[in-house]
Amino acid sequence: MRRGVARSVSRIAWLLVAILAVLPARAATYYLTISGQGGLPEYDTLFAKYAKDLDTALKAGGGDPHTEVLSGPKATRPEIEAAFSRLAGQIHDGDFFALLLIGHGTFDGTDYKFNIPGPDVSGADIAKLLDRIPTRQQAVVAMTSCSGGAIPALTRKGRVVITATKSGTERNVVVFTRYWIDALQDPAADTDKSASLSLLEAFKYADRKTVEYYEAQKLLATEHALLVDNGANAGVRNPGPANGQGLLAAIFPLLKSPGESAKAVSPEKQKLVAKKEDLEARIDKLKYEKAAMDEGDYKRQMSALLLELARTQAEIDQ
Amino acid sequence: MKRSVTFFVSLGWALIASASPAALENCRGLAHHGKRAEARACFAALERSDDPFLRAEGAWGLQKFDAANEQFKLAYNVDRNQAEVRTEWGLLFLERFNSADAEGLFKEALQVDPKYTLAYVGLARTAAGNYDERAVALANTAEAMDSKRPEPHELLAFLALEDNDEKKATIEANAALAVSNESLDAMAVLASIDWLHGRADSRWPERIQRVNPIYGEAYSMGAHFMEINRRYEEAVKLYRLAIALDPDLWQAHSELGMNLLRLGDYTEGKQHLELAYENHYRNAVTANAMKFLDQLPKYKTYPGPHSVLFLQQKEAALLKPYIQPELERAIAAYEVKYKFKLPGPVRLEVYPDHDDFIVRTLGLPGQGGLLGVTFGLVVAMDSPSAREPGAFNWASTMWHELSHVYVVTMTNHLVPRWFTEGVSVHEETAAGSPEWGDRLTPDIVQAIQQKKLLPVLDLDRGFVRPVFPEQVIVSYYEAGQICDYIADKYGNDAILGMIHSYAASKTTAEAIRENLHLEPLAFDKEFFAWLDTKTEPTVKNFEAWQKGMKELHEKKTGDPEHAIALAEEMKKLYPDYVEPGSTYEVLAELQEAQGNKAGAQAQLEQYLTRGGHALKPLKKLAELQQQMGDTKAAAATYAKIEFIYLEDRDVLRNLGTLELDAGNSAGAVREFEAVLALNPGDQAESHYNLARALAKSGQKDQARDEVMSALEAAPNYKQAQRLLLDLSR
Repeated sequence: MRRGVARSVSRIAWLLVAILAVLPARAATYYLTISGQGGLPEYDTLFAKYAKDLDTALKAGGGDPHTEVLSGPKATRPEIEAAFSRLAGQIHDGDFFALLLIGHGTFDGTDYKFNIPGPDVSGADIAKLLDRIPTRQQAVVAMTSCSGGAIPALTRKGRVVITATKSGTERNVVVFTRYWIDALQDPAADTDKSASLSLLEAFKYADRKTVEYYEAQKLLATEHALLVDNGANAGVRNPGPANGQGLLAAIFPLLKSPGESAKAVSPEKQKLVAKKEDLEARIDKLKYEKAAMDEGDYKRQMSALLLELARTQAEIDQ
Repeated sequence: MKRSVTFFVSLGWALIASASPAALENCRGLAHHGKRAEARACFAALERSDDPFLRAEGAWGLQKFDAANEQFKLAYNVDRNQAEVRTEWGLLFLERFNSADAEGLFKEALQVDPKYTLAYVGLARTAAGNYDERAVALANTAEAMDSKRPEPHELLAFLALEDNDEKKATIEANAALAVSNESLDAMAVLASIDWLHGRADSRWPERIQRVNPIYGEAYSMGAHFMEINRRYEEAVKLYRLAIALDPDLWQAHSELGMNLLRLGDYTEGKQHLELAYENHYRNAVTANAMKFLDQLPKYKTYPGPHSVLFLQQKEAALLKPYIQPELERAIAAYEVKYKFKLPGPVRLEVYPDHDDFIVRTLGLPGQGGLLGVTFGLVVAMDSPSAREPGAFNWASTMWHELSHVYVVTMTNHLVPRWFTEGVSVHEETAAGSPEWGDRLTPDIVQAIQQKKLLPVLDLDRGFVRPVFPEQVIVSYYEAGQICDYIADKYGNDAILGMIHSYAASKTTAEAIRENLHLEPLAFDKEFFAWLDTKTEPTVKNFEAWQKGMKELHEKKTGDPEHAIALAEEMKKLYPDYVEPGSTYEVLAELQEAQGNKAGAQAQLEQYLTRGGHALKPLKKLAELQQQMGDTKAAAATYAKIEFIYLEDRDVLRNLGTLELDAGNSAGAVREFEAVLALNPGDQAESHYNLARALAKSGQKDQARDEVMSALEAAPNYKQAQRLLLDLSR
């Protein structure tokens, strides 16, 4: 049984390596942040502040992102459609596009709706708008109440869908948004210390902080964030090799730094970068085989690879 | 309190039982005299009666409680005008742990017959079971109604002894005996007084056994009084005697089990609780204790030089490195201060689930205010994780309880509640840390204004039978202030002297005379004068302060200069106020907004010194101290925050970094290990930090393991790579 798992995760590891290899080095990233209607003045203010803070954090993260914010009275259906039309003309295949929704959502048992001034937009409406964006690398982060109810409408192969709630029945205002913004500002969110922040890292950070918030306050949690990025009809709480979720989210850069390839100009350094990439792939593969290996053997092999990687990196940095 | 002692009427009994009211008295008489086999036969005959009321009594006598309930229901429907049926049925409910229905039936009985004395006794017993102050008034009403019945006197004697009023207890018990010289519970109260005084030669046990040779309830009652005076080991001894006389006394098995749990003997405690439960003694305490015992495999003990820690395994890695040294430090400090060596190790049990802690100590959940409880050498308390962050200071709670361990042990438990609580509150500040201890809260200010503080000789009443909701808290404060005053004016030796006086079975009046050389009334006079002087500015200006604080919070966002001036003024009126929205927090916020970081820091330093314990302002203080370059003060603030809440990873990490920078690598190792014990999201950084600290402390192999763990989580983590290369050279 353990071997079977190891083989399947190993295949996933190699798939991940393959995906990484075909990603364009200079893909642009586009963000559209929409904060909806608060209903009460304090929520209007809060959601607008969240949108502003999020935009500031995205811009401060480097990598020259293209950001746009529709907030409060500007977040109407015509404005949203116009923004998508503009973006459809700017974004190319290979670029990254993330839609970030902040505010209230509702769910009537069948359809999710994002609350905005005027007629609300449904999950299906949002999916149609996303389909107009000509890149396969899309993400939608729905930081609203009831957002779990939007997953069936939004999910599509190649699209990362993150929701702040696990279903349409979690109706309270979410705290997930606050921690999502924190993820963009807290170096601790970059758990692989790559100087970039992936969607998966941001999701895990915000989800963990949300869980801790409810635990520390001794409150019954009224939100449980989900992620789905393989086109499945349901999201998961803990994306990882065991459930096959999170692969795309792991390579979707929410905040990114220039890669080594761009800096490696000499042929010697390019060789070292190639060696480093090979070591990284072998480390990933070894990690996925861990469950089926003798612990001591794993540790020896991992130590050797990590030491070699450290030496290679030191040579690159010289 | 022993609640289920059956109050038998002391009437004559006939040798032949028949199915009539007189037969019922016969059966009760047989039971009263401990003739169990004959009583069973008698009750069995009653059970065959044509009268449902007598059948109910018969079934009850045979401990067929469900059948008795059914028959009372029938009797109730046959004659709705009988106060007796309702009262007896109510007593059955009371015995079977349903005080709400019992109370309803007693009240119905009094509607039928307002002069039915036993219904008042039932109501009084129901109130007494809830430690409701109305119990005494209800029992007095019953006594006034019919002073020729023993029951009201028996209950009044019992209640008086619960209030430590031995004089009144003796008078009432003698009154009951004057009515019926076979009043077992009156004799049990008198025996209890003797046992409380350690008189092994009490004549009452022998007199009780002459009436009823298997009346274990008498010992059980004595055990109850030991228990409420926190003399758990003696309570255990008396419960054992109760069971020896009557092995079927399931209530005593349950109580014995609970008291053994309190003393840390889970094995035997569980046996008695199981026995009670299996024999259908399933009150809330027993049932809850059984559920709690199911949790025990999650816990583990960790022995130290003078202590044993009992921690839930999932939080042991985090808590042990902090709690164990603090516990040992407290033991060492108290050993010197009290000039006393404990007879064994202190067992400290720490519960992450507050309800588990309460069930383990009291048997019933829902006592939200309790933080810690001491049973001789055993202390149980909430874990830092049991409450929301900032809700309590675990270290001051532990020092408070440790003081109880010493005072209770040194006095052989012969110490009044007010004194041991007072010493504990005093020691939080005196021996623990200056910013700990009880503060002058608004509730206490109002109690002082309304002259609700009690004379020293009555102070126990404020703990045992409070008459207003905040009285227990007010009494803690008053007791603490009394001990502060004694230590201040008469010196610590006076406190120690009082402990020795109590150990010699002296009363509070005698202890005051012996050690302070004045009468209790004179002591009250000088203490209240001292307290009035100390609290006068706040007490006198409390209404002005309330008004000013309202204005401050309403206009905080307006003119900052005005707000600062107003806040400073309010701070002078009530400097002890450190609850949410305190002037210190407001001033710090306003001054920081003006760019005056040094001013904000000074405000928050005052907040900390005054006993402020909210995490947000304290973290802000540490941050400001760091920004102002005072890293030593920042480290000290973080360490104080850890006494309040241990699960804040930022606090642990920041302190670890400060310790490492200051060259205290051992301290840094502790902090970074604690971060890892909390299973942080950022595994790479956490392992890396620990690796750095280990490397600095010369533990190269462990450092290498940690840096490998960091790199396994984040292979390209450059700082970790550099450390690995350093460690590999």
